[in-house]
Amino acid sequence: MTNPSGAPLVRRFLLALLCLGGIHYAAPWPGPQAVLNTFLVLGLAPGFRSPLSGILWAAAGGWVLEGTLRLYPHLGGTAFGNMLTCLLAFSLLLRWPPHSLKPYWGRQAALVVIHTLLVHVSVRFAAGPHAWGTGWLWSLVLIPVWATLALRLHPPLHRK
Amino acid sequence: MRQRAWGWNPAGRRRWAMAILLLGHLLWMALGRGASSRWQRLANLLASPPRAASAQWEAWKANRREKVSTLRQAQTDLLALRAQVTQLLTARAAEAPRVAEADEAIRLLGLKRLLPMEFRAARVIVNVRKAPFGGMIVDQGEDAGLRPDQGVIAPEGVVGRLWDVGATQSSLLPLDSYNASTGVMLARSRATGVLQGLGPGKAAIRYIGNQEVVQVGEPVFTSGLDRVFPRGLLVGYVSAVQPHDVELHVEVILAAPLDRISLVLILPAHPQMEIQPPAVPAQAPPGKQAGK
Repeated sequence: MTNPSGAPLVRRFLLALLCLGGIHYAAPWPGPQAVLNTFLVLGLAPGFRSPLSGILWAAAGGWVLEGTLRLYPHLGGTAFGNMLTCLLAFSLLLRWPPHSLKPYWGRQAALVVIHTLLVHVSVRFAAGPHAWGTGWLWSLVLIPVWATLALRLHPPLHRK
Repeated sequence: MRQRAWGWNPAGRRRWAMAILLLGHLLWMALGRGASSRWQRLANLLASPPRAASAQWEAWKANRREKVSTLRQAQTDLLALRAQVTQLLTARAAEAPRVAEADEAIRLLGLKRLLPMEFRAARVIVNVRKAPFGGMIVDQGEDAGLRPDQGVIAPEGVVGRLWDVGATQSSLLPLDSYNASTGVMLARSRATGVLQGLGPGKAAIRYIGNQEVVQVGEPVFTSGLDRVFPRGLLVGYVSAVQPHDVELHVEVILAAPLDRISLVLILPAHPQMEIQPPAVPAQAPPGKQAGK
């Protein structure tokens, strides 16, 4: 007997892997790189059935992003912020599964702001003041794209 | 039965794993805030064994590269040296006759300075001495003022005399020819006789009386009585002495290497019987120099 949720899980896994590769290869373009990281943390990682899997993917995204930026402190601040935001998104999905697109956009926008603040607080805690950049703005502006994609192509498994 | 949230069950283990993951990151961030020198020291300490191994590996590779390049260089040098040695041996073999002739010319020059006579140097161009009625031919003839019966000598000893003189060449009768006769004397007894040829390298002295004491190894000189050679030129050494009727049969080994001779000195016709040694220049008294 086959697992009915196996195929979406595999697709989610492959898409998360593609996001990791994209984060790595998008290092010369910090804006798209931040969008890919946000998509992985807020769009894909919370959708896994286990929160442990989700935060592992989020941590991996944070470490890959820090590893690609030469002038960025490699102390895990981004991974830590990713994991906390992913846990928050996971609990929100459990408590209030999304039913329509626009409320989901609003929730993702709030999570993007929280994610940005958490990451920068963590990085500041670990390594001191640093440049913020415009990646958060890219993530906010492109919410209609990546959030719609996350909900349409890969709805959270908890929703099914 | 309801499972405990943080107990040893799958959900609890996942929670523990997440907690460890978060706390580990937090601890890592907290520890990374301080001075980085201690972490660098720790990292250096941990990295020192592989670094040392890597350095040794690189040194071994460099050493092997150097050995290989040195070996190739040595092989190239060896090939070049072999070619050079072959060239030098060929050149030396080509120069050997000229070197030998030059050495002989130097010895001839020394002999010429030693004897106060007017010599004429000649080169032996044909040597068929061992053939029946053979002889030697030199590259001087009537054009150089030569005449038959002029003596021919070499630095090692007497060679023979001119037999037939042509326009530009002359035939030479060696001492060991059967028809050669030369007036000789023994070094110790001063007994005189006639040297007659016996074949290649050998001759015998005739007309030495039984009463003479002749020792093997005794030198034999020219006597000057034949008016071909002056007195005192080395002819050879006594090799055997046997009494024979009223005279001794004295065999002589010739001193001149007739087989390999190439340059000779031709004596003037009818030389003086005695050769006067060259006058020694008078030395200035000590403390005085010439011209003062």
